[in-house]
Amino acid sequence: MPQSQGDVVQGTLEMLIMKTLALEPMHGYGLALRIEQTSRGVFRVNPGSLLPALARMERAGRVKSEWRSSENNRRAKYYALTARGRKALDEETATWNRQARAIAWILEA
Amino acid sequence: MALFTRVQRAFQSIFRTEHVERQIDNELRSFMEESAAHKRSLGASREQAARAARIEMGSTNAVAHRIRTAGWETKMEILWKDFRHALRGLLRTPGFTIVALLSLALGIGANTAIFTLIQQVLLRNLPVRDPQQLVTFGPSLGGGVLGGIDLGFFDQYTYDFARQLEKAPGPFQGVASYSSIDPVVSVRISNEGSAFHLNSSMVSGNYFSVLGAAPQLGRTILPADAQTPGGDPVVVVSYRFWQNSLSSDPGIVGKTISLNGTPFTVVGIMPPGFHGIRRQLTLPDLWVPLTMADAIMLQPGMLAPRSFYFIHMFARRSLQSSLSADQQWLDRQMRDYVRAGEGINITPERQKEIERITDPITSASHGVSSLGDQYGASLRILMAVVVLVLVIACANMANFLLARAIARQRETATRLALGSSRMRIVRQSLMEALTLSLVGGMAGLALAFLATRALIVWVSQGIASNALTPRPDMTVLLFTLGVSLCAGILFGLAPAIRIAHTSAGPALTGGVRTASSASGYGKGVLPKILVTGQIVFSLLLLVGAGLFLRTLLNLQNQDYGFARTHLLLAQFDPQLAGYKPEQIPALNQQLLDRLQAIPGVRAAALSNSPPITFGTWRSSIKPSGYTPAPREDVGAILNRVSGHYFETAGISIVAGRPITPADKATTLKVCVVNQAIAEKYFPHGNAIGSTIKIDIDTVEGPWQIVGIAHDTRSSGPRDPSYRTVYLPLAQIRGKQGEGIRDSIASTILLRTVGDPNTAIGQLRGIVAEIDPNLTLLQVRTIQQQMEMFVSRESLIARLTVIFALLALLLACIGLYGVMSYSVTRRNGEIGIRIALGASAASVQRMILGESLVLLAVGIAFGLPLILASGRYIRSQLFELSPFDPLTLAVASFSIIAVTLFAAWLPARRAARVDPMTALRCE
Repeated sequence: MPQSQGDVVQGTLEMLIMKTLALEPMHGYGLALRIEQTSRGVFRVNPGSLLPALARMERAGRVKSEWRSSENNRRAKYYALTARGRKALDEETATWNRQARAIAWILEA
Repeated sequence: MALFTRVQRAFQSIFRTEHVERQIDNELRSFMEESAAHKRSLGASREQAARAARIEMGSTNAVAHRIRTAGWETKMEILWKDFRHALRGLLRTPGFTIVALLSLALGIGANTAIFTLIQQVLLRNLPVRDPQQLVTFGPSLGGGVLGGIDLGFFDQYTYDFARQLEKAPGPFQGVASYSSIDPVVSVRISNEGSAFHLNSSMVSGNYFSVLGAAPQLGRTILPADAQTPGGDPVVVVSYRFWQNSLSSDPGIVGKTISLNGTPFTVVGIMPPGFHGIRRQLTLPDLWVPLTMADAIMLQPGMLAPRSFYFIHMFARRSLQSSLSADQQWLDRQMRDYVRAGEGINITPERQKEIERITDPITSASHGVSSLGDQYGASLRILMAVVVLVLVIACANMANFLLARAIARQRETATRLALGSSRMRIVRQSLMEALTLSLVGGMAGLALAFLATRALIVWVSQGIASNALTPRPDMTVLLFTLGVSLCAGILFGLAPAIRIAHTSAGPALTGGVRTASSASGYGKGVLPKILVTGQIVFSLLLLVGAGLFLRTLLNLQNQDYGFARTHLLLAQFDPQLAGYKPEQIPALNQQLLDRLQAIPGVRAAALSNSPPITFGTWRSSIKPSGYTPAPREDVGAILNRVSGHYFETAGISIVAGRPITPADKATTLKVCVVNQAIAEKYFPHGNAIGSTIKIDIDTVEGPWQIVGIAHDTRSSGPRDPSYRTVYLPLAQIRGKQGEGIRDSIASTILLRTVGDPNTAIGQLRGIVAEIDPNLTLLQVRTIQQQMEMFVSRESLIARLTVIFALLALLLACIGLYGVMSYSVTRRNGEIGIRIALGASAASVQRMILGESLVLLAVGIAFGLPLILASGRYIRSQLFELSPFDPLTLAVASFSIIAVTLFAAWLPARRAARVDPMTALRCE
């Protein structure tokens, strides 16, 4: 399946969210913005995927949330990585690295 | 997240949806605000920024929905919504719902009721430690006191053999034993109180430890309690007896109660569910050591080596030993024991015979179940019957729901067009089916409780305290839940498939009629298959019911050889009232004199056993002038009877004379034989005048034959007439003419002019007048006595008839539903036919013809099925072929009649269709 520009590689969205949240707690829009910036504009995460993903991760206990005031003084729901989330991030990163390396080998062969 | 929080959240999402909704809305709004603020900071105008943020978000509703559905809690919520939707839908059509629930409740209830019994009679393990390790030596189903047999015959053993194996159990963890009958004993709790009768079980000292049963209070009988014959008067009592008669007094342990006049110390109380290793109707209330057998059975010498075979044995296997090794060990023990008893000179033939002695080691994890033996086959047949009834009910439900699904086609198509997922609609339809089946199942459970209670009353024949209970246990509840779910899925599937095939287009464009006749399902193939199946199964059930009913009638209406009306039977035991054998002849005479005088009694008699009974007095006999072939069975049933017995019991004398009051202890010893004996041993008509000797010391004879009595079916309606010798009760005496144990006659027979029940009061009065301690154990009319012998056939016949009629009714409703729905659906078509000149009669013929095709197909499939299943019930029938033409004809005829009736109503309606109305309705 060709990966159109802007979409996140399937199955990696949660890893990207966790990696981004590993630095500091963030609200939804902040996360979307940060992922877009860090990927230098390659990945655009729209709220229709981001917010359900966050809800899913919260139910799985990987992130926790609380309502706080944002930098421009609006109430926003801030998400933070939990210990379980940190562990999951490590595991998924390791898996991803191994797979990416393997794919690279195959493509170079 | 902790489970608790999850559950809490699940409930929140179900019951506090508003709160969750608001949270999601807030987050979405804040997201958009942040997004707009960011875009404004990049230089967009307020409106542009807001617009861009909204476009980015897309439909807020869709996003909110996706957030909500991220967890399993929302699935619960959707299920709950579907459930409420289903409930609303069902409440809107109360008529349909009531019929549906009723047929499901009947179907599921019948299954639960039969399963409750099957579970208790056949499936449940004994409530002891590791029941799967328990085995019995032989099935141990019979019971009695036998003499002169080989060890293990009828699974009966002697006390000394049981002791030997108890001490050296070989490969087993332990070998224990118990009396094969539970003797009735006379119990007195205090000196003042009156005596009452209870069943007692005599057990070896290790019975409780091998069984693995612990007491509720006190201790069980221990090996130390059963060491010396007559030396250990201890008793363990049942919980029921402790509650009912000992007022649950915990201080009773250590006190004494009197059994048959001997004081016994109560050492323990068993827990409520404990019935011993046997699963039977009458439960023992007392357990005493086998060493007390003489006092309990009121017979000396019960424990003497190699004398009485009255013990059953069981063992607990050890894990190391194989079953074949266990069997070999047991066989060796039995053969060695028999060989040791026969001295040194054993002929080679006898050697070979001894080497064939064996008793199969039988699993006893369910206990020793005479109930299972008696009712097992019937219950399995009934289970198959109720499963068929449920399948028929399910077919009805499938048809009903299918019709509903088709009626809702427009609604479904609209929902599909509006973007509802097909899965969701299918799930809703399944939910409707499951709601019906679960509610029906709950009603069925209540119904099953009542039905089981009635069934148990029937099966137990009035024994109030029996091992069966109508209370469902966990297994039964799970079974009902499983059956309900399976049924729901089964009949929910058809409409669900129908919906899955609905497409949004055609159903919306044209009239429903056009749409439904366009697709294959709409033509009603599936409903017709279901109705045909119903006809097949109903026919099967009708034939089965007919066969069982005719079997019952055949059993009841055959010639038994004795009177089947106006006869009252009463059982009593003078020994329990403290009579010594010497006092018996006088008591017998006194009873006969007084009973004879009751007004309305034509004749009174005493005998050892009633004209038809389970247990009999038997022995081998030696007819004069007859040399039996080697190993020939020369056994005969013996009965000792007073004068007037034959006229009282209504047994006709075909030659010679009956036994009369003139046959006294002092006159010539005479006897009456039945036709079977006369024909077998005296084929030349020379029976009268010949003599017979009997292989029992006390009644050896010789007895001179003075009469030949008509054959009787004395051991049961299915058993052929067995050779029988009648001896005069008054002539059975000891050497000095004194009364002996065999002078006891425990049955009173009264031949009455009117209803035998009216004589009961006077009978009891007279017996009490003679001796207040002399209680009647049982009083039955001959009909009641005979019902015990056909209870199984009676049960299965009546229940299959009920279930077959139920099935027929359900099939009738099903056919009516399908045909009348088909008529409604084809209203327009019928209208056109009539408009084009079709007569009302031809329209009726068309609709009837359709049902007749279904009927013909049903019978065509049903008959081979009946032929195939005939062999499974052959053994249950009596003097009847499973392909009895009369039964087949009546069953087919009833199903044809019912089908025609069910189809006639819609056909009549079709003929009345007004073409103008039908066509205008388009």
